[in-house]
Amino acid sequence: MEKKLSLQLNNISMSFPGVKALNDVTFCANPGEVLGLVGVNGAGKSTLMNILGGLLQPDKGAEIIINGEKVKIKNPKVAEELGIAFIHQEVAAFDTMNVFENVLAYDLNKWRKKGSLFLNKKAMREEVKRHLEALDCRLDVDTPAHSLTVGEKQMVQIARALSQGGQILLFDEPTASLSDNETQKLFEIIRNLRSRGYIIFYITHYLDEVFEICDRVIALRDGQKTGEAPVSEINKEKLVDMMIGSVVETAERKDVRDKDAVILRVENITGVKFPKKISFNLHEGEILGVWGLLGSGRSELFNTLLGIDRKIDGKVFFGKNGDLKEVTQKELYTHVGYLTEGRHHDGLFLDMPISKNITSSLLSKFASRLLGILNTRRENEESRTIMKQVNVKAVDENMIVSKLSGGNQQKVIIAKWFLKNPDILFMDEPTKGVDVGAKNEIQNLIFEKSENGMSFVVISSELEEIINLCDRIIVISEGKLVGEVEREDFSKKSLMAGIVKQENNYEN
Amino acid sequence: MLNKIKLFGQRNKQLLGMIGAIAVMILVLSITVENFMTWTNITNLLAQVAPIAFMATGITFVLISGGMDISGPSVMAASSVLAVAFITSFEVVTGVHLVIGCIILLLSGGLFGLINGVAIAKLKMVPLVVTLSMMTVATGIATVLGGAKGLPTIPSTFADIFNKYTIIGLLFVITWLLDFILTGTAFGRKVYYIGNKEETAKVSGIQTDTVLLKVYILCGVCAALAGIANVAIISTARASMGPQSQILDVVSAAVIGGVAVNGGKGRVRDAVLGAFLIVGINNIMNLIGVSDYYTTLIKGSIIIFAMGIESIKTYYSSRARA
Repeated sequence: MEKKLSLQLNNISMSFPGVKALNDVTFCANPGEVLGLVGVNGAGKSTLMNILGGLLQPDKGAEIIINGEKVKIKNPKVAEELGIAFIHQEVAAFDTMNVFENVLAYDLNKWRKKGSLFLNKKAMREEVKRHLEALDCRLDVDTPAHSLTVGEKQMVQIARALSQGGQILLFDEPTASLSDNETQKLFEIIRNLRSRGYIIFYITHYLDEVFEICDRVIALRDGQKTGEAPVSEINKEKLVDMMIGSVVETAERKDVRDKDAVILRVENITGVKFPKKISFNLHEGEILGVWGLLGSGRSELFNTLLGIDRKIDGKVFFGKNGDLKEVTQKELYTHVGYLTEGRHHDGLFLDMPISKNITSSLLSKFASRLLGILNTRRENEESRTIMKQVNVKAVDENMIVSKLSGGNQQKVIIAKWFLKNPDILFMDEPTKGVDVGAKNEIQNLIFEKSENGMSFVVISSELEEIINLCDRIIVISEGKLVGEVEREDFSKKSLMAGIVKQENNYEN
Repeated sequence: MLNKIKLFGQRNKQLLGMIGAIAVMILVLSITVENFMTWTNITNLLAQVAPIAFMATGITFVLISGGMDISGPSVMAASSVLAVAFITSFEVVTGVHLVIGCIILLLSGGLFGLINGVAIAKLKMVPLVVTLSMMTVATGIATVLGGAKGLPTIPSTFADIFNKYTIIGLLFVITWLLDFILTGTAFGRKVYYIGNKEETAKVSGIQTDTVLLKVYILCGVCAALAGIANVAIISTARASMGPQSQILDVVSAAVIGGVAVNGGKGRVRDAVLGAFLIVGINNIMNLIGVSDYYTTLIKGSIIIFAMGIESIKTYYSSRARA
């Protein structure tokens, strides 16, 4: 590195319609340093990375200075020319090609023999060998990519980043799919790169890794930089404090739980990857929160419980008035509703009218017993009633769902499950991507229903929301249950303590 | 009242378009062809459409569910050959044999559909590949069973019962019935749900693989109905009665009828009208002496054109959304 490498970000803001994803973020990165970037889901990490990668353009007033020059990263090509390279969470490779072809796949034209259509494979092999040796990686360049482990594929990715002339390396959750050994190997490589003077960003949710590999850490929350410190000067509690910040607690929730009546008991439920041996009880009329960072196995817990993912082990008991019986996933599903995280992926029938979306949860209610003939008029009437109750703003019940705003779409899904009126409603990020007004309405709807005896299990990445909403919170990390907090003990500290406690267990 | 008419028009754009196109076609034909508008000619034409139309009703369900079944004509031939082989295996054929033959025909059609359905819905195999294989298997069965000399003819009682009037009547009844099942029953609604978004359907608690299984069985039975219409015309059965290329006519009938190839949209009624249009186009081209080579070329272009219009529509509406 002959030139003095530097990266300075000044006043980076990024506005999406209705949301400020980044607000005036300023920091610098130094060569020969691993800079950790932490924050909960939605804090603005990806937005920041996408700006550096040229996928998003920041608002006016933002300055990106590389090597002392102000630059504008118009598109990914420009980012590449500036030496910015990503190592992604999902390791992608062309499975039918060799290692060296994979490394150099981004620009095969460069490797064509002069005036010929053929590739100079010898030179390509040499080049790739050079990069792999620099990484201290003994991988044969002719190995087909499909026989590589995930860790080795990641090496290929890193080698690709280097051969592209990458000097600013962004590692985005690189260990998410690695084994412990591979993780250690990756850390060695990162340290190696650090000693050679690269600028390295390290984005992660695993607090342990921050302390293991990073030199300095920056925390983001709600699009703002909420902390910056050398890792040697802080501990986990301090870091968590930076990530989560203070929480405004409101106490409008009445406790309507029937503490004697357990409606759902889960024992040692285990899925393919996550969850791992989780047990809990749910009471009638209770709102139970499931708290954990992204990748902790929250959604997997729901999917495994409800039979969308395969269940390896564990028992589920369900029953009203404390009369519990063991049930299969299928039987359980007839008593529950499931609002998933991906509204467009598996929440709505986007090209269908609101009414048909709403009645999809309980079609049998409108069908004649013998022939299954539908009573469309009653469908429309009931849809209208429930739309009013949930306050879906639309012309009428025949409006196509894709034409609604995000908040109204979310309310359609809620209306759909309220129509079924299940005993338990599972909600994964019930207010994701909806505006503040709709958010409050949705919370009030949950309160109202729980007072009428419906039980809820709610996942949320927003601490404030989960604290306002829930009677009790279970904390999940790495697929395991690591803590349980009652409402009177709610505080960000107690929840974070849950996560920190687990991290300590993890070390032992 | 005026509002109601307007609403009906908005909801049935496809139907009105089809009727318009067919009217134009009839007008052209009645001007150019002598004796076109005779009772005999019209009823003959309607009966001629029946096999394609029956298969089109079945594939409408499959397409709306987001699947594909190209084995229709071959399944039709195989089931017909099975039934005719059964009927003609008796020295003296009685009415009972004919009835049992019909039942065999329908059942074997359903069985072929069941095999398709199990492979696609339960084993999660790719519909196009499964039904492509089923197409060759069914053609093979029909060829082997039909033998080199072909099967003997069945008694004319069969053709007397299933004369062109009964076939036309059957076509109207089946079309109405299947259209009602698709739009008016819980089963039909689930088919739309699955075609629109299978993941959402699953999360909504719909047993998607059971529904899909039924859809493919239904498609097989519809092919068998086409078999009955065909057997009535030629009084026997052979592998060549369901040429594999006929699936092009079936799919184009559905596509012209506005059935979305990637699922979620369409009606049985419109697909049947599409079959009329396709057979009409075939006939017109025959009459004015267009060679067969051009006929397939033109039909293929029509499918691409019809699908292209649909794609462009969705492209622009999604752009308008964004």
